[in-house]
Amino acid sequence: MNEFNEDDIGKLLRLKRHEQPPPGYFDNFLHEFHRRQRDELLRQPLWRICLQRAQDFMFRLNVPGLTSYPAAVTAVLVCAAVISLKVYQGPGIEKVAVVQNPTPVVASTLPETAWSLSSPVATRDLGPTLLRTAKYSSHTHRAATPPRYVLDSTPVSYEAAFRF
Amino acid sequence: MATPKKMNPAIALPSPRRFSDLLSSGLRSRAKPKRDAMEPPRSDEDKQLVSRTQAGEAGAFDELVVKYTPRLYGLIYNMTSNHEDTNDLLQDVFSKAYKSIGGFRGKSSFYTWIHSIAVNMTLNFLKKRGRRFHLSLDDMDASVQNDKEFLELTATSSPVREADLSELQRRLNEAMMKLSDEHRAVVTMFHIQGMPHAEISKILRVSEGTVRSRLFYANRQLQNYLDEFRKNPVS
Amino acid sequence: MRPLSDFSLVPESLPRPLRAAASGLSLAVTFLVLLVGAQAQESSTSSISREVKEVFDKSAKAVVKVRGTDEHGEFAGTGFFIDPAGTLYTAFSVGGDADSLSVEFDGKKYPARVVMTDVRSGIAILKADIATPALPIGKSEQIEVATPIITIGYPLDLPETPSFGMIAGFDRKFLGRYFSTTHLRVNVPTQRGEAGAPILNFKGEVVGIVVSHIENGSACHALPIDAAEKIRNDFVRFGEARHGWIGISVTEAEKFKEGSRAEMTEIMKDTPAFGSGVILGDILLQIGKTKIREPEDVIDASFFITAGETVPITVLRGNEKLTFDIQAGFHPNSHQPAVIAAPGQNQSIPLRLDSVGRTP
Repeated sequence: MNEFNEDDIGKLLRLKRHEQPPPGYFDNFLHEFHRRQRDELLRQPLWRICLQRAQDFMFRLNVPGLTSYPAAVTAVLVCAAVISLKVYQGPGIEKVAVVQNPTPVVASTLPETAWSLSSPVATRDLGPTLLRTAKYSSHTHRAATPPRYVLDSTPVSYEAAFRF
Repeated sequence: MATPKKMNPAIALPSPRRFSDLLSSGLRSRAKPKRDAMEPPRSDEDKQLVSRTQAGEAGAFDELVVKYTPRLYGLIYNMTSNHEDTNDLLQDVFSKAYKSIGGFRGKSSFYTWIHSIAVNMTLNFLKKRGRRFHLSLDDMDASVQNDKEFLELTATSSPVREADLSELQRRLNEAMMKLSDEHRAVVTMFHIQGMPHAEISKILRVSEGTVRSRLFYANRQLQNYLDEFRKNPVS
Repeated sequence: MRPLSDFSLVPESLPRPLRAAASGLSLAVTFLVLLVGAQAQESSTSSISREVKEVFDKSAKAVVKVRGTDEHGEFAGTGFFIDPAGTLYTAFSVGGDADSLSVEFDGKKYPARVVMTDVRSGIAILKADIATPALPIGKSEQIEVATPIITIGYPLDLPETPSFGMIAGFDRKFLGRYFSTTHLRVNVPTQRGEAGAPILNFKGEVVGIVVSHIENGSACHALPIDAAEKIRNDFVRFGEARHGWIGISVTEAEKFKEGSRAEMTEIMKDTPAFGSGVILGDILLQIGKTKIREPEDVIDASFFITAGETVPITVLRGNEKLTFDIQAGFHPNSHQPAVIAAPGQNQSIPLRLDSVGRTP
């Protein structure tokens, strides 16, 4: 026969709701989330970033038809052609080997869903320009709130592999 | 720089402060009122935010993050008993959610969807982590003093009151870690997060009957561990 | 019980008044000697607090509160001046991505602009156009575990605050992730708002920059100043950080050979390593001056490679030790060509995807 009954266990467990992270943790969480997203974005290969930027640009022009993959690829190719023309016309600049990036570093060890080209949202760039146009939700920022005091829980970047 | 001396892998963590600290005014004051993570979410608000996110509004996902962080923190923390792991997992959960929200069709509520992601990621993580010998436990927030059940427990005469409540809480955390990951998950969701059986069964994709029996078994286990402690209070 | 005078050091042959005076003198000397001895022994703690106070008094003026706004609103951190013209170091999480930066110095607020930021090291260099005191730069390679240190920072909304602690270790990784270079782990209380604070040795020299906290602030990780200075020197020489790249991946070999088990398991195409003479299976022994024993030793060596410089790479192939001089290209994260055509030659303008002056 148990001295502690189900009820007591339930009560004790419910008290664990009050175990909370350090003060300021939740305030800082969103900021760290954005930073991580940006970091992950920058670790992608150049061609993918170009593609996203092109899609982004098209999206901002509000022409849904142009956000498709073929349109984005065309845009990138056109830009690349223009730029390379300018490069070759430059005075006395040696042809430089174009970098082919090694396999992009996987930022997380947990399995990730495949990057889908058909969903523009999934490739939305979290860069500062976009975020500034969306007002941050009012219930976390009021005129009287103190500034966010910065001290992250992890450094901004890390190495995922042994290479040099 | 001196040759890095190998760091002791078993990181020595400060012993968690528990009720004993509270009773001796070791309270942490807060600038903002504590978010009540246990209130049921407003699903119509969620639907709006999801569609705004899917339409490309970056600020909308931010609002979902802010809304669900405290709740998901509690869920993951009570399953892992470690603040640092919880932080990492929480970041990964939202990262995954952000990447896959384009394909979210609304068959289940966003609440169920994101809780599924969180529970499954945490269970996978726990499988990889294995047994951890040092817990990194969060401190008790001042709000516990206003908790009805806390007052009941400390006021009425019951076996709980006779034992040292803070020691009991410590034993409970230890007992939680002894449960299997799946059992700890249901205990966390039902008792700590206050989720109904139906919701838990949707998240774990098991029948409600399975949820109930796991809870029953887990509860019995916890009772046994605590009884053992009462009988043999040697640490 | 013999009278005190019997114990006197003064010879009995001296006339009485002189003897009295001499006794008094010898007593006084004895007393002073004891007093000095007691003080010296008194406690090392009071001499530590005196040293801490000295460093604080000397250095506090050069440590400033840094404020700015970003997409989440206002934030505040810490920074410190390193030259008399208002150049300051802070953490990337403070100065990396912000508008309207300002520093509070000598009770007044001055605007500051970003000179450079570097994600890999986690620092930012700002500048306020004012005359300022400066902290001398130390050498982080001289510090060891248990070296005592002082930090000066602006926690929360409090004024400049000293903290005393010590170097607890040198971490290559934390919570399963490798840092971009070895970081100092410092047992010193650090609070929010102190990102960017200087870690000072007892000479008052900067040996590190606070970048992140551990375990609710009972300890922190700091970038060694040598790493920060590498980045700053790059900026002085080239106008930007120049993270170098050779193009080799290593993994752990089964056995140690010549003291190393870092085996080359990938030589990337279109990188300086390709065609340089190194081949798969070579055991890496040394990169520049850094001896390699484990694959993770590569991380620090890599951090200090500058794009454009020639790096001697020593390997073990079979029983032979071979050295190859390879010219480092740009790190992939810089989104610049990995192979540099020739030193000193103009590069083609890379497709800059981020704001000017910022290296990813």
